[in-house]
Amino acid sequence: MARLNDDAQWIILMGFLVSFSLFFLALIINQSTVVGQSTAESVIEFPKNDIRDISHVIKEHAEKNGKIDDRVYHDIINLSIQREGAVVNYTLNTQYYQRLDVFNHSLIHYNNGVTTYSENWTSE
Amino acid sequence: MVNSGGQLYTIEGVAAGLIMLLTAYLVVGATSVYTPGDAHISDMQLEVLGSDALAMMDTPPNSSVTESPLQQIIETDDGSRFRNLFLNYTNVSGYGPKHDIQFSASYTYEAPDTTITSPPINSSRNLTGGEHAVRVTKWVIVNKKLPPLSADPPENRAVLVEVHLWRD
Repeated sequence: MARLNDDAQWIILMGFLVSFSLFFLALIINQSTVVGQSTAESVIEFPKNDIRDISHVIKEHAEKNGKIDDRVYHDIINLSIQREGAVVNYTLNTQYYQRLDVFNHSLIHYNNGVTTYSENWTSE
Repeated sequence: MVNSGGQLYTIEGVAAGLIMLLTAYLVVGATSVYTPGDAHISDMQLEVLGSDALAMMDTPPNSSVTESPLQQIIETDDGSRFRNLFLNYTNVSGYGPKHDIQFSASYTYEAPDTTITSPPINSSRNLTGGEHAVRVTKWVIVNKKLPPLSADPPENRAVLVEVHLWRD
């Protein structure tokens, strides 16, 4: 029976180490594309600019008049459904604090089927 | 008689074979996203660029002006001013490194009979349908007769400015 040759064991061990490190590098490359894509997809899907914009236009409008312009209200709601695919509604109340301080209180709701957003806003 | 020599070599061979198989499996699996994965990333960047440009156009340049450039553009139907500002803000024209971005802009309003119309504002190229475009929008409140030939006096209206933009 031939005697087992136990020379060069360090070389074999280092060979294993290198193969395993290559294996883990391959694992990282495997996941990287998926991670980049799903991150970008979720960023695109979240309607950050739509929400910011609808909130901005409602507040800008409220600051101008202090009450809801019926025409603008229907424009915003109907165009949101038709062009943005989102259900939007808002209320606006002008309130008085001790007859001196006037401020607007507004509730804004946004729902596009994926993202729901509600805002409770009080002007200064 | 069975020869039991070379067992270490056999074990090493089997281990190396397994590692190679697993690595090949991972490498083959890695590129299985057939739509280019980074297309979404550049879409996202283009969308952010367009939104920022529209946001800048909807900001009055100083405190003595009450209306933003975008409001004035819609009220006076000044498509060439929209084109100049938008191309400048997206670095298509002006100084410095240029982008190859094309746009097509319109605004949408609701007529009194509740039909919804989108007249064009301006475009740098016609949309043919083959472009990989992203859409950015901006709400603007304008004081304007809508539809333009209406007999009623101008009133405050909310219109939605919509811009498709894409790279060549």
